[in-house]
Parts: sequence; C-alpha cells; structure tokens
Amino acid sequence: MILRAPRHFPYALLAPSVVVMLAVVLFPLGYNIWLSFRNMSLYHFRDHVFVGLEQFQLILSEPLFYQTLGKSLLWTGVNVVGHVTIGITLAMLLNGPIKGKVLLRMLLILPWAMPQYISALTWRGMFNYEYGAVNLILGQWFHLPAIPWLSDPFWAFVAPVITNLWLGFPFMMIVALGGLTSIPQELYEAADLDGADRWTRFWHITLPSLMPVMLPAILLGTIWTFNSTLVIWLVSNGGQPADSTHILVTYIYKAAFTYSRYSYAAAFSVIVFLILLGFVVHVLRDATRGEEARS
Amino acid sequence: MRLPRNAMHALLAIGILLPVVGCGGAPKKSDGRIVIWMQMDPEERLRFEKNLEAYRAAHPDAQVEAVPYDTENLRQQFQTAAAAGSGPEIIFGPSDQVGPLSLLQLLLPLEETMPAGFFDRFIPQSLDTLGGHLWAAPDQIGNHLMLVYNKALVPQPPADHATFLAEAKRLTGKGRYGFAMNMGEPYWLAPFLAGFGGWVMDEASHPTLDTPAMRDALGYLASLRAAGIMPKESDYQVAETLFKEGKAAMIVNGPWSWSGYRKAGIDVGVAPLWVLPNGQPARPMTASKGYSINVNVPAEEKQQVIELITFLTSPEAQLRDAIALGILPSHRDAWSDPSIQGDPLLKLSQVGIELGKRMPVVPEMRVLWDTMRPGMQQVMNGSRTPEVAAREMQASAVQQIAGMKR
Repeated sequence: MILRAPRHFPYALLAPSVVVMLAVVLFPLGYNIWLSFRNMSLYHFRDHVFVGLEQFQLILSEPLFYQTLGKSLLWTGVNVVGHVTIGITLAMLLNGPIKGKVLLRMLLILPWAMPQYISALTWRGMFNYEYGAVNLILGQWFHLPAIPWLSDPFWAFVAPVITNLWLGFPFMMIVALGGLTSIPQELYEAADLDGADRWTRFWHITLPSLMPVMLPAILLGTIWTFNSTLVIWLVSNGGQPADSTHILVTYIYKAAFTYSRYSYAAAFSVIVFLILLGFVVHVLRDATRGEEARS
Repeated sequence: MRLPRNAMHALLAIGILLPVVGCGGAPKKSDGRIVIWMQMDPEERLRFEKNLEAYRAAHPDAQVEAVPYDTENLRQQFQTAAAAGSGPEIIFGPSDQVGPLSLLQLLLPLEETMPAGFFDRFIPQSLDTLGGHLWAAPDQIGNHLMLVYNKALVPQPPADHATFLAEAKRLTGKGRYGFAMNMGEPYWLAPFLAGFGGWVMDEASHPTLDTPAMRDALGYLASLRAAGIMPKESDYQVAETLFKEGKAAMIVNGPWSWSGYRKAGIDVGVAPLWVLPNGQPARPMTASKGYSINVNVPAEEKQQVIELITFLTSPEAQLRDAIALGILPSHRDAWSDPSIQGDPLLKLSQVGIELGKRMPVVPEMRVLWDTMRPGMQQVMNGSRTPEVAAREMQASAVQQIAGMKR
C-alpha cells in the first residue's frame, strides 16, 4: 500500500523554513531596497519621504564610488587569485608523497581555525613600523629597509591583503584537497604512457578535474571577499591612513553607522548587490555553457 | 520542488510590504522594572554595582537592572529600540551620544523633566546644552588629556615647550624614547589646536579647520615627530605599551589610562599639558558622562527614574571609589570635597579640566573627527604639508556635513 499525503503536505513542511527565510533574508532585502528610494537619515529619521532615484544619482556622480569600486575589485581579484593559487599548490603538495602529512595539514588549517578578529588585530600589531614582527624580520634577517605598513596608503592596502591571504587560503586548500583525492589515478597512468610531463598532466588532467569542485568555492570566495569588512577594517584601523583603504562595503558601513545616512547606505548596498548578482549570473551561465559543451 | 510562480510573487510582495506595515510600535508599558543600558569600563562598572546596591538598600521594592554595552552599540541599539517605541528607561554614556539621539527625538529634555533647579548642583564645565536643552545628568567629568610622566625618569614635569623638548631629548636613547603619543587620532590634535588659538567649529557648528591655528598645531606635532624624541609610527597601542614598559618617559593620555599605568608598576605623575611656543598652554577637550532618559518612559515610572538618577549623581555615589578610579565628580559638593582636594592626582586633574574646552556634542563632530583624522595622519607621514592638509580637512568636512544633512 502506498501512503498518500495530501497535496499541500510538502508546502506545510516547507512553511517553517519559508517563514524563517522571509524574516531573515527577504524582509531585510526588501526593506533595504525600499529604504534606498527614500531619504532616511539622522535629519530625516521620522519624516523620511520617497525621493525616487536621488540616492543612486548622488552615489553614481561621486568620484569616491569609482575609487572604492576599483579598490574593491582589486582587493577581491588579488585575494581570490591568491587564495586559489596558494590553496591548490599546497593541496598538491599535501596530496603528494611527503612525510608528516597530518601535522602539516593541521598547521595549514590553523589560520582558518583562529577567530578572524584576533588574527586581524594580531597582524596589525605585527605590521608596526618599529616594533612589528614583519619589519623586524625584514630588517634583521634580510637586511631590507623597514616598510611603513600602516602609514603609507599603498602599503596600508598591501597589509590587509597579506592578512586576508593568510586567512583565506586554507579554505581553498581543503576544497582542492578533496577534489584531488577524487581524481582517478588511471588518468595519470594513461598520461604517463602517452609520455606527458608534469606540466601537461597538471594542465590537462588536474586542473580540469578540479574545476567542478573549485568553481563553487571560487564563487563563494569572491562574494565573501568582496563583502568582507572585518579584515580590512581592523588591519587598517577603519580605513587608515586617510580613508585610503576603504573598499565599497567598509565605506557603506561608515555611511550607515557613523553618519546615520541610512537611505544613502541602502542605495549603495543595492548597487553592490546588483554588481554581485550580475557577476554570479554571468559566471554560472558561463559554467553551465562550458559543461554543456563538454558533455 | 518549486513554489508556483504566483506563490513566489506573493512572498516577494509580503517581504517588500512588511516594513511598510511594521512601522510605528505601540507605546511602552510599565513592567515595574527600571532598566539602564550603560557604557562603562569594567572597574567603573564595579563602582556602579555598589551604587545600585546602596540604592536598592534604601528602596527595597525597586527593581533596577543594568545592561552593559560598548559605546557604538549602546547608541545604535538604543536608537533602534527607542525608535520602535521601547528600549531601556535610562541610558548612561559619553556626553556626545546625546547629539544624534536628541536630534532623533529619542530623549527627554532633562531641564523640564528633572525637578526645578536640579542642574544647579553641577559644575558648569560638566553640562552641555544642545538645541536649548540639557539631555544628560552628568555623574563625572573628564576625558581630558594630560601630560603623564614616569616619575622614575622625569623628576619635574616640563611646563613649557623648551623644557619639554630638552627633557624629551635627554631621555631618548638606549632603546627608550623621551615621549610617545597617539599621533593618529585627532582627539590628540585638539589640545594643540586650542592652544594655538583655534577650535574645531564655531558657535553655529560650522567647521573651522582651515585656520592658522590648525596649520600651527599640525606643524607643531610634525616637528615633535621629526625631532626624534618619539617612535615613527606612534599610535595609541604603541605609545601605551612603551610607556607601560618604561620605554617612553612621557605620554599624553587621559584619566582612563592612569590606573592601568600604576598597575603596570609605573610611578605615574600627571601634569597639565605644557605651554606651547606661542606662550599659551595646550588645552585638552573635556567631556562628561551622564544619564539620559528614554522619551518612551511610561508616565507612572517617571518619578522612580528621576529619583534613581538623582541618587546616581549624588555626592555619595560620585565619591565612591572616585580616588581609586581617578574619576572627577561633576557635583559641586563632591568636586570640592576634602578627599578629592587632598588627592594630588585628582587635584592636578582638576587643573586640567579648568584649562580644557568642552568637546562639542553636536552630530557634526563625528564628521569632523573623520575629516581631521586623514589630514593629521598625512601630515605625520609627510605626504601633506600642514597648509594643504588643513585646506583639505575643511573642504571635506563642509562636503560631508552637507551630505549628512541631505
């Protein structure tokens, strides 16, 4: 006998999660979009009105938007490329015949296991011009001049990038390691018979086989990095020096919570949302097209 | 499985419409409890608990609860809660939080709420009027930067620029600096700005950053940094650590830091900031901390709230542990109390307050901090001259205040 549930039963099962999703995802998103068309701020907190696209026009007419957008893209690009490269390289090393694999793997995951907050503040301490570990090592071991990590706009951007690279590679490494172990050994044996060298094997077997696993990870990593406020905020101490290290999201944070420009910040985050949405749709479409072409 | 398309649309519509419906909460009802949200250092919190105990002993049926927050969260959470018609009855925090909160109409004007003549009991330096109203009842005054020195190294605190520089130079060397200071925060720039005859804003809260005084102040700090008497990258953390380790002989810091230095084993002396080359002393910003009342407080609780605040700002409460914590009272009787007058540190601290200028509590001040910070840092790292930095500060401040007021 087949048990039959009424047709609406699946909906009833879904209802609780739909309600939660509504409350924590759709509601804030909707509210945010609604807010972006108004003029809510410190000076119009209770009497805010509909202003149409005014906030968007204001943002898109400010040079600051393009500067921070450029910096955001650079920040995301450098970090994600770095994470993936370091991650895959280390995963391949760990997957190879080396001693102390377990210990090494544990050590390499450590950056991930530490609370980001602590790591970021520790790195900030290490970047101090005179007393920080980084400059001490550069000076005493490599006899290089000290770098003004935190006071020069260029280096103040490099410093959080280094911190974030250190924080982010373990994730990619773990994903890549999982991917590597699932590549059938026969492929490499066949390649050996055909006389393929290491590079060819990497390029034609390892990398394509890793892609299905890496792609979602890269997508996630891109969005996380693009939206990550914590590291850049803490290492640069809130955009120091001279607000030169802001990326889009840290700037939004400041607009909303330092200056109480709620609608302005909401409009700003709608723009960021659209940028990310466009990116994800584009990448996913490319990926599915690629898979269809292959199959 | 997919939801039918029209169901998705319905959900989306609800998501977008909910906020419209959700605006405006019901008025707060009395539940017999008085809740205080407060921002205090851990040590200050202990004294607060003792004060609450004393209050409860005198009012056995009173229910008072205190919830600690940090500065930013206190303001943001209160803003959210009070705007929705709820929140704690009382909040306690730094005086400048009343700027945004009063503008948002989330606080009761206290000169109308508290009994007539209530504010006469406080020393005038502890009170801020904003929009013609008093929004906080102060229980202390302070936050003023002073010259703090290590008595083991500095026998006599320098009183003017020449002796300061000579002393700092004498003490620099052998892994030690004569001086250290937070060179990245404009709060440390303000005393020098005031000393050279300038200020951050005028009476109408318009920024006044592009002035000869600002150029002098920036130039003066840059010259201290260039004199080799302090570390090159000297932020709060570095200065603090060096001083605690005895590797910096003098530091400029506020009352909140002094007990920490003593705990680190430093024999601390405190002195007013030195007289600048123009013959005027550097004048620190002063600020108080105090109690404000939520606009949503139920009518039947008002009397109890007033009594509680009156007690918490009384000499009895203000003098408790004041010497151990280095906190200056705001009540006239406590200010002139023999125990305060007899404590050398607090006595000198009072001199600092009398020299100081009130930190503005208007919301524009937040913008000014953010626009002065970059300029100050750029002058310190040599990428801007004081002239250019002052001009850019002013332009950016004017622009950002206009943005904030849109």
